[in-house]
Amino acid sequence: MNEFDPNTALSSIGGFFRRLRERWQRFPEQVKRLTVLLAVVVFALVTARTMLVPADFGKYGHYRASAVDEIVAQPIQYAGHEICTECHDDVAETKAAGFHKNVGCEVCHGPAAAHTEDVEAVQLLAPRGREGCPLCHEYLPSRPTGFPQIVSASHNPVKPCIGCHEAHDPKPPETPKECSACHATIARSKAISHHAYVACTRCHEAPDQHKLDPRSFRPSKPDGREFCAGCHDDGASGKEGIPQIDQASHEERYVCWQCHYPHLPEAQ
Amino acid sequence: MEELIQHLAPLVKEVVGYIYPNEIELHWGLLVVVYPYVTGLVAGAFILASLVKIFNVTELQPTYRMSLLTALAFLLVAPLPLLAHLGHPEKSFAIFFTPNTRSAMAMFGFVYAWYLMAVLLLEIWFCYRKDLILWAKQERGLRKLLHRIMSLFSSDVSERALRFDQKAVKAVTLIGIPSAFLLHGYVGFIFGSIKANPWWSSVLMPIVFLFSAIVSGIALVLLIYMIATPLRGKEMDMACLNKLASYLFYAMIIDFSLEILDFIHRVYESEESIEILAALVTGKLFISLIVVQLLLGMLLPLGAIAMAKMLQMPSDLKKMIYFVAALLVQVGIFSTRWNVVVGGQLFSKSFSGLTVYKTTFLGLEGLLVSMGLLLLPFLILYVLFALLPPWEESKVSLEGS
Repeated sequence: MNEFDPNTALSSIGGFFRRLRERWQRFPEQVKRLTVLLAVVVFALVTARTMLVPADFGKYGHYRASAVDEIVAQPIQYAGHEICTECHDDVAETKAAGFHKNVGCEVCHGPAAAHTEDVEAVQLLAPRGREGCPLCHEYLPSRPTGFPQIVSASHNPVKPCIGCHEAHDPKPPETPKECSACHATIARSKAISHHAYVACTRCHEAPDQHKLDPRSFRPSKPDGREFCAGCHDDGASGKEGIPQIDQASHEERYVCWQCHYPHLPEAQ
Repeated sequence: MEELIQHLAPLVKEVVGYIYPNEIELHWGLLVVVYPYVTGLVAGAFILASLVKIFNVTELQPTYRMSLLTALAFLLVAPLPLLAHLGHPEKSFAIFFTPNTRSAMAMFGFVYAWYLMAVLLLEIWFCYRKDLILWAKQERGLRKLLHRIMSLFSSDVSERALRFDQKAVKAVTLIGIPSAFLLHGYVGFIFGSIKANPWWSSVLMPIVFLFSAIVSGIALVLLIYMIATPLRGKEMDMACLNKLASYLFYAMIIDFSLEILDFIHRVYESEESIEILAALVTGKLFISLIVVQLLLGMLLPLGAIAMAKMLQMPSDLKKMIYFVAALLVQVGIFSTRWNVVVGGQLFSKSFSGLTVYKTTFLGLEGLLVSMGLLLLPFLILYVLFALLPPWEESKVSLEGS
């Protein structure tokens, strides 16, 4: 093995740099200038990035890690529904059995964190007017059919909601008289259709409990072509002025409502 | 709140059928129409320039440098509509410094930067280097300094160096074509990949965008050539014009075929959205799609160019036909962008209603800003033409110096 000779090492390092310089000089002038420019741009960008990107960025994910601490440091406004049951267990029990079992207490009563800290000093409000309930129960066509909805302008105007409804266990004080109370979209279509004077109960049988617990007790629906044929078959008697077809030959592979929407049947 | 209601009230009156509450007002307005239009012009102008270098189309030589500068002028303006639309332009650097690789929109920043730095500026630099050096030798004062800086203080005009320039231009063009495809293909991709929107969601979208970009880019260079040449008191090169018009014609044929293919595909597929889309096309978009985009922007110029090619006619009449056709193509392609961006937001996701779009005149999203952004590239182009004259007579020969 050769001994380490500092002179040889130095000269070989010197040789390396000399060769590097020679190679650099052989590059076309354009490449040299662009390389210098590129080096300056890369250096500037790396420096800017080091200065501008927060040091803790990307520690947990694509965000600044200290942002989590800042969010944690914000004062807590909401207490969550569990703590309410500790004092208001009677209300909680009533609510747990009713339709509002999945509506948190603070949805109506507002943020409760301060109230749980000092029960006497901070009192929560309950909506006593008509401003709160319609936020969920005002009629909107995009709400699911069967969800209790009212048109507040015509639904007992000026009377507060809690005058008739117990918010913790909401039930209609009297069962809705008309299907349209809940099925407003269908009722509106039907009202302008040829079926306007056909009662809902002509085609659907609704058990009484349906009005109190609509999803557990579903109304019936016609189950075959024969049902519509009761009026629309050309053999049906005493039905003058009603469009009639020959049930046996009219599109026999389909049931009626695949082509005709019964709540707004087209005129033929 | 009051202001919001005043804004929404007239819109609500024009809503047809049933739409969801958050669909009344469009989120992407006129600025987002301007953005793909401008980006398309960049890609189109660059691809036209590439024809000269890669396929050696000598007739187009007079428009080569002009196309490059046009692409640059429009590329510099391309991100501005987005910055104006998003707001907070001072935060935009974060897209580059903390890149989110899972976001197509965030990655586009890099496509843009690559295209600007590694393709366009590089090609222009190699293309102009010799002239910059020679110009600087003859000039004095600020102009000399500017040209020296632009040439990066380069001074080598040896034959070997010039040969290297030419090779580099070719290499950059070769990288540039897929980059230009990527640049505008991305814009189509952004719309095509939104699967919840049946008007946008189509794999053909990037390709349709690309070919309409080529169409608009060629038409733009044709227009600029036809305006700039007489303004300089020069004679237009008829062979160049004829070639430009031919390429415009071919690109339009491909673009038109792709759009028709897309149309037939949609009609044949007849997904559940077909009825609302039919209502959209025959109703709210009738003027901008059927009349402006299809008839005025596509069929009329196609027919006019075909006639100019087939019939014997004086060259002045030909020039006029090319000019009007290119102008109509611009209007048509702008309409295409409008129909994609605005059209895709006019129908409800419930497929049972249509809303309406009304642009404002003032404000960041308004007509005035959009018109400013469409004029700005021409201003930049004017400055670029002054600094880097693309004309044949501006080239200095080595012997002359």
